[in-house]
Amino acid sequence: MTDQGVVYDLGYRPHEGPRLGRRAAIRATVKDGLRRMFGIRRRARKKVLPFLLFGVALLPAIVFVGLVFLTSQIATGDVIDTPFANHASYFDIAAGTVLLFCALSGPELLIPDRVEGVLAVYSSRPMTVFDYLGARAGALALGVGAFMLVPQLLLYLGFAALGGGGFLSNLVTSSGDLLRIAAATFFYLLAYGAPAFLIAVFAKRLAPATGVYLGAFLGLQAAADGFSSSGTRWAAVAALSDHPSIVRDWIFDRTPTQLVPVRAGLDAWVSLVVIVVVAVVTLLVAVRRYRSLM
Amino acid sequence: MDVVVATDSLGHAYGDVVALHHVSVEVPAGRVGLVGANGAGKTTLIKILLGILEPTVGSSTVLGADPQRNAVGVRAKIGYMPESDCLPEAQSAADFMVYAAELAGLPPKAARQRASDVLTLVGLHEERFRQLGEFSTGMKQRAKLAQAIVHDPDLVMLDEPTAGLDPEGRDEMLDLIARLGGFGINVITSSHVLTDIERTCDWVVMLDGGSVLREGPLSALLDTTTVEVELFEDAAPVAEDLRHRGADVTAEGRTMAVRIDGDGSYDLVRDALARAGMAVRRMGTRAQTLEDVFLSSGGLEPGPER
Repeated sequence: MTDQGVVYDLGYRPHEGPRLGRRAAIRATVKDGLRRMFGIRRRARKKVLPFLLFGVALLPAIVFVGLVFLTSQIATGDVIDTPFANHASYFDIAAGTVLLFCALSGPELLIPDRVEGVLAVYSSRPMTVFDYLGARAGALALGVGAFMLVPQLLLYLGFAALGGGGFLSNLVTSSGDLLRIAAATFFYLLAYGAPAFLIAVFAKRLAPATGVYLGAFLGLQAAADGFSSSGTRWAAVAALSDHPSIVRDWIFDRTPTQLVPVRAGLDAWVSLVVIVVVAVVTLLVAVRRYRSLM
Repeated sequence: MDVVVATDSLGHAYGDVVALHHVSVEVPAGRVGLVGANGAGKTTLIKILLGILEPTVGSSTVLGADPQRNAVGVRAKIGYMPESDCLPEAQSAADFMVYAAELAGLPPKAARQRASDVLTLVGLHEERFRQLGEFSTGMKQRAKLAQAIVHDPDLVMLDEPTAGLDPEGRDEMLDLIARLGGFGINVITSSHVLTDIERTCDWVVMLDGGSVLREGPLSALLDTTTVEVELFEDAAPVAEDLRHRGADVTAEGRTMAVRIDGDGSYDLVRDALARAGMAVRRMGTRAQTLEDVFLSSGGLEPGPER
């Protein structure tokens, strides 16, 4: 001890509190995944694209609610069925940003862990391959969910507040929309998220993986359009980006949009099967690959 | 003896290449060294004990649990520092340590506290907000050790912890490893650098070609069995005399080494020297290294890092 102060050596302090086990490990992996996708606790440049995309996905909803507010000032009436903004068509507006978000997020969730050897850390923690992949998929689901559900909720609450008949009454009346929104979001997530994972399972670098993902969607879409127009009807199943919109129309009981599979005469259930098959194949491939790694 | 790891006829093959061949060991609590040349099967053994690899034959227990049947249970109690990189480059040391602790089931508040403590312990407290990708090799090795102990495991497995370190970094790392035992953490250190094991371990398991060469307490393995005598003159006549009387002797120039076989060996040497009328320049037990033991047991030269 000196007159300037004292240095205390706390020594080694063992952890004597609770150990929360596997669930806590999964929760931590989901939280880490969300941080990665949005660049939270990362450098500023990692935040730019995800938040920009989120803004692009959200802005139309804010504008629509604002427009509904203005029109409701001009003429009272049922504004919920306003033709320029409804829950079903908002998926078309958000789909592009969700596709880009998945293109960035799928690789970000899986590739660094594998390339930088971090899987060895997961291998020494109380979790399995299923836990790890499930937690990463859960993070993607929450991220995509935020992209699709936050604007939809804004629309839902905005329309309920501005529609005639009272806020609570409108909420109850249109509560069925919430289920339809959730179901459609789920199929968009599967349709866009699974291929992003499938590519990320094998890719070694982020930017090429994003490029391959977007290229595959565009290329398959063009090929499906070309082949199905020239008579090869079943080639339309390759139009991966169209399938969730067709399932969405089915869920919302709308007249199908004239997308490639619809023009080829394929029923909505074909789109649903394609989405599920791609997701299951992704799951099997990812589990097989990661079982050999961790 | 408290046993932390036990294996029974453990074997593993990568296709036609046998990596482990009927390995049966009982590793006691404390600081244990797993030594052998590169390719001896050390990492394969560790991966089986972690439940990452399945053995082709045999069984094992880690802290009383079977890592094949209850990998999650085993992993909840252990830490692992792999030989290869395992740090996310775009994350700060502090964030990653908190995450590593939460992955082991620690509540967030405790994880933050442990992360801070452990980064201080390994000497990275000042660097905790720097991204791991900016760390030097020595700092990365310390960060790897930190993530392995951040959740206060009962057992930590360190795979080549001094790989790539300069002499100063190596000293610091070995000091850290040597301290872990005092924290109540059992340590298994895998290395092909035998001097590292001599400095940090109390018990040694030697692997060679996938099989156990020797195992036991370091003090017993290094127990010397040879007396070395240096004379002022050529040692050959004395050596010949000793051989004639049944001693195991090797002589070279003025030096001879006599294998000790009980207390009588010293008397035999003394009498032979007296008969020859030779003066002794130096006499003492030969200091044996782990490398001597390894080579005399038939192990391949561990040699420099490859």
